[in-house]
Amino acid sequence: MPQAPITPDSVIELLTSEHILEPQEPIAPDTDLFTLGLDSMAMMQLLLQIEERFRLSVSPAEMTRDRFATAGALASFLGEKRRLAA
Amino acid sequence: MPTFPATTVDFFLAGLESFMVRSGQGRHWAVTALWLKGKPEATALNRAWEQVHARHLMLGARLRRKWRGWRLVWETDGPVQAPPISWQPLSGQTDETTLIQERLRGFVFGQAITTPLFLEVFGDAATGRHLVLLTWRHALMDGTGVNLLLEKLAAPSDASPPSVPEATQESPALLYKRARPLMNRLHAMTRAGCLSAWSKGLPEAGGAPEFQLIQLTEEQSGRAAEKLRRLCGEFFQMPFYAAVAVRALRALHESRGWSSPEIHLHLPAQGRKRSPDLVFGGQFGTLPLFLESSALDTLDTAVAHVQQCYKDALKQGLPQASEALMALARQMPVRWFIPMVRLQNRGQICSLFHSHTGAFLPGRADFAGAMVENVCTVPSVSTPPGLGLFFSDFAGKITITLAWRTGGLGPEELKALTASITTDLAG
Repeated sequence: MPQAPITPDSVIELLTSEHILEPQEPIAPDTDLFTLGLDSMAMMQLLLQIEERFRLSVSPAEMTRDRFATAGALASFLGEKRRLAA
Repeated sequence: MPTFPATTVDFFLAGLESFMVRSGQGRHWAVTALWLKGKPEATALNRAWEQVHARHLMLGARLRRKWRGWRLVWETDGPVQAPPISWQPLSGQTDETTLIQERLRGFVFGQAITTPLFLEVFGDAATGRHLVLLTWRHALMDGTGVNLLLEKLAAPSDASPPSVPEATQESPALLYKRARPLMNRLHAMTRAGCLSAWSKGLPEAGGAPEFQLIQLTEEQSGRAAEKLRRLCGEFFQMPFYAAVAVRALRALHESRGWSSPEIHLHLPAQGRKRSPDLVFGGQFGTLPLFLESSALDTLDTAVAHVQQCYKDALKQGLPQASEALMALARQMPVRWFIPMVRLQNRGQICSLFHSHTGAFLPGRADFAGAMVENVCTVPSVSTPPGLGLFFSDFAGKITITLAWRTGGLGPEELKALTASITTDLAG
């Protein structure tokens, strides 16, 4: 089965369609996700969805603020992770 | 009269306070303490204080039932007058612990507090340091709200009044269906027999609120932060602190020769779609975790276990089930709620209270113009569960609050709890 592409838009789609974040305004690739309410529970939901949708497991040591700060940064990190795993 | 919809956590906090009052434990007060390097600017603080009272009608609100639909709402008569901020010298005769302890009982220098918020500033003439004590009714605000309130008091703003949240109504049948996974889990927990710091035979009521603060040194806080990063990444604090808290409770159980195969932890989960202006009224939901004591042998295994349970709880939809169950329970009279929970849980409410945890006033260095040295919250806790463990991180400084009631913990048990927490965090 082909893997779902990882782009800033696909990360934004995941965040909104799974109700991980429910912002009043649309999320842009460079919007700060923490200011939109990316707390512990949202983070755990996000990790679950990343596993399910992108077939990637993120370890605690990889969870840095820079990598999860924006949809763009997260897409770059996950894309690189997938490339290395291939 | 204006009304605001009551959230499910409003119902929980009202039920808890009703239980506390009826069992002789007094009202559910909490105190937030800020230690400042200098004197806060009086004009700015007064302005911010008055703004908060003028803009938040919830400060004069009472929980009421609407006859139509039996809905629980906050009803208000309009804006309330801000009580004057009390400025006092911090004399050598009154120590911080005594001051906070009296306020947890709802008194200030022998006088009962009559407003939901009370603000005091104590100045130490010798050092120039100031202690700000904000005493607040927990039934009106949760741990998230107090952080937002401090932000508003830290600097006056011209923000517009808060919008009122939408009320949601769902059919009882739908709520029951959504609540079912949690009900099944609660039945399993009851069969397993979860214990808190309280058990039959221990004093249940009457004890005054007690607390102890453990302030980690800079070096200890650094070590704790390093452990947290290693086990949970840079910003996923809750499972780490929850693991430390449940291991401390397990150590207490062991010291008493008790066995609790499972530990029932209710973690606060931030509600979605909240506005930063919605300071008052409970906003969080709960994430119930059922931890196996046998998986808590080391901090590493405990953190991994909490993370796994956290993940499983989300997969099973337990936060939504918890919200649905509370929405169903909201139909019953407030005073029945905790007795019903205790009937279900064989005398318990949950294993321990663990909230008010994580970064406090993130990114803020000053409060009304004075540099903040540290900040933490001390809530009074009910018996059962008889123990509350709260972890505050302000600018990398970690402060742990242990809260209990007189007679609920012995001095040796307190030492054992402190040792377990300090070793886990900084050992």
